Amino acid sequence: MAQMIADAVSQAGANFVESVALFLPRVVTTISIIAVGWLIAILLRTVVRFVLRWVRFNAAAERLGVASILKSAELPPADSVVAAIVFWLVWIGFLLSGIDVLGFTGLQGLLSGFAGFVPRLLVAIAILVIGFVAANFAWRATLLAAVNARIPSPRLLSGAARWLILILAGAMALEQIAVARTIVLTAFAIAFGALMLAVAIAFGLGGRGIAKRILEHQFPEQERSGADEISHL
Amino acid sequence: MAQDSLLSDELLRHLMAVGQVDILVGVPTLDNASTIGGVVRAVHQAFATYFPRDRAVLVNSDGGSRDGTPGLVKDYSLDEAGTVTVSHSLRTMHRISAPYHGLPGKGSALRQILTAADLVQARAVAVLDADVASVTPERVAALIRPVKDHQFDYVAPVYARHPLDGPLVTQLVRPLIRGAYGWQVREPLAAEFGCSGRFLSHCLEQDIWESDVAKYGIDLWVTGAALSAGFRCCEAPLGPRVTTAAHARLGFQDVFQQVVGAAFLVLEQHAPYWLPRQQSEPLALVGTPTSEAGEPPTVDASRLTQTFCSDLQNLQSVLEPILSANTLSRLNAIAEGDCGQLRYPDDLWVRTVWEFLAAFHRGVMRRDHITQALIPLYLGRTGSFLIQYAQAAPADVEAALEAVGLEFERSKPSLVECWNQASPR
Repeated sequence: MAQMIADAVSQAGANFVESVALFLPRVVTTISIIAVGWLIAILLRTVVRFVLRWVRFNAAAERLGVASILKSAELPPADSVVAAIVFWLVWIGFLLSGIDVLGFTGLQGLLSGFAGFVPRLLVAIAILVIGFVAANFAWRATLLAAVNARIPSPRLLSGAARWLILILAGAMALEQIAVARTIVLTAFAIAFGALMLAVAIAFGLGGRGIAKRILEHQFPEQERSGADEISHL
Repeated sequence: MAQDSLLSDELLRHLMAVGQVDILVGVPTLDNASTIGGVVRAVHQAFATYFPRDRAVLVNSDGGSRDGTPGLVKDYSLDEAGTVTVSHSLRTMHRISAPYHGLPGKGSALRQILTAADLVQARAVAVLDADVASVTPERVAALIRPVKDHQFDYVAPVYARHPLDGPLVTQLVRPLIRGAYGWQVREPLAAEFGCSGRFLSHCLEQDIWESDVAKYGIDLWVTGAALSAGFRCCEAPLGPRVTTAAHARLGFQDVFQQVVGAAFLVLEQHAPYWLPRQQSEPLALVGTPTSEAGEPPTVDASRLTQTFCSDLQNLQSVLEPILSANTLSRLNAIAEGDCGQLRYPDDLWVRTVWEFLAAFHRGVMRRDHITQALIPLYLGRTGSFLIQYAQAAPADVEAALEAVGLEFERSKPSLVECWNQASPR
């Protein structure tokens, strides 16, 4: 009996040592992959930042209005943001590769899942960036046009234009990465429809006077400019 | 571009029939049926009265008029202009009308006229504005004589008008050109000018004819090209300038954007010339100016300043990337006072314009947004100036405008510093 127990313990110990002997190289490999991946990610981050500075990416971001949005959100400059995205994507890729090497059943397939997710994530980021740029452009164009055309509440109008585009871009980005797809789509449809209905009702009932003034202001423009009494040229 | 691709076969045939000329008068038109008869008459009377021994031709370049303007040019009877024209003429009076090809806009019309002048080797060229109803033979002669008799290469007009009239010129473009180029040109935007064959050849060699400058700001570009390329420039008094309703084809905002956008583009193009220049010199005046000052504009200036105050609040976030913090805070400070009696000081206005120009050069946002954002500030400055000088004598207003010009000159080093730090688009 005692011998049997001793054999079992001895066998278990041998099995454990064997498992450790088999697992330890995987741990070392995982650590190596993660460490090398980290170094490669840092190198890529530096290279991307250098290239973006060389092509004056921040100046372009400033022109497109992305820089001001990043600044207002207390985020770093545009080149650092792009470099950080590259760093995290690369490093997470290596991290998952390393974990995959460990062979844990529950974690199997993470890498392939991540590989499939990255393109969708990049498209979502592109949609968000384009959305930000378009929203900023629409905001400024609407604000300037409304101010110079003497339309009441220009900031409200331009803010509405900006948020509509941002919400649309946000919904499209979430749809792209398939985060709570049904909820996002339903929520967006309800919110957008409600917003439009509210605007229509508010403008139709409460803003009749404003609409009348705007239309009166816009259409007899030729007569007013004729009576402007000053020739600017 | 080769001349034969710019001039149609018909126009070439007409020009070859005319042969070499001494004087060419060009008239770009677009729906000018109401005034073109007077322009044609004045040009032919000028040929007959002031240049009877010279070979001369009138070239009309039309932009697709739908009111029969080209037909009126071709068919205008000299008998209607009086027997003096015909009896004094020693030579055949040539008159050609042709549509221009290429980009729509005055630039293409002017290019066609200058190309025609180059082909017929005209020694002196005058370009007239068909919107002007007050063209006289004397005005035509005033643009040609400095070139023909005094060997000037470019003749800018001087109009007799009240100094409070045309604030876009007096408050913005004139002092801006003076501060930058270092030359005092009273009417840098004028659509009428005279030039030599040498200067027109230089213009035709420049690579601007397909650009936005040619489309919207060709008049200002011609002035800048003459100043920056070392040509002999002068001014000629033309008397009062009376325009027709057709002149106001565009609304104020469009005019402002076109004028300021073109001015900034032209300045950017000529930066190597004007950046090192300091102070300014007046242009020679050829002719006798009239004492007519015209009537001051009657405008509710406080409406302009009220507009400025409300718009400044609305545009804070657009102005932040354009203006320095100091300039924006000073603007906010004056807008917080009594907007009906607003005072927009000279030095602040000059800083505003310089900083807008530098922002345009840096490309901090879309360029048309930058020029749009300047509109409320310009209206504020114009309103402030009109409030301050509405009751002043014309001489006092002229002195105030001179002070604005000097302020542009004085503060130029700050623009140059700003400009050199800026990374162009």
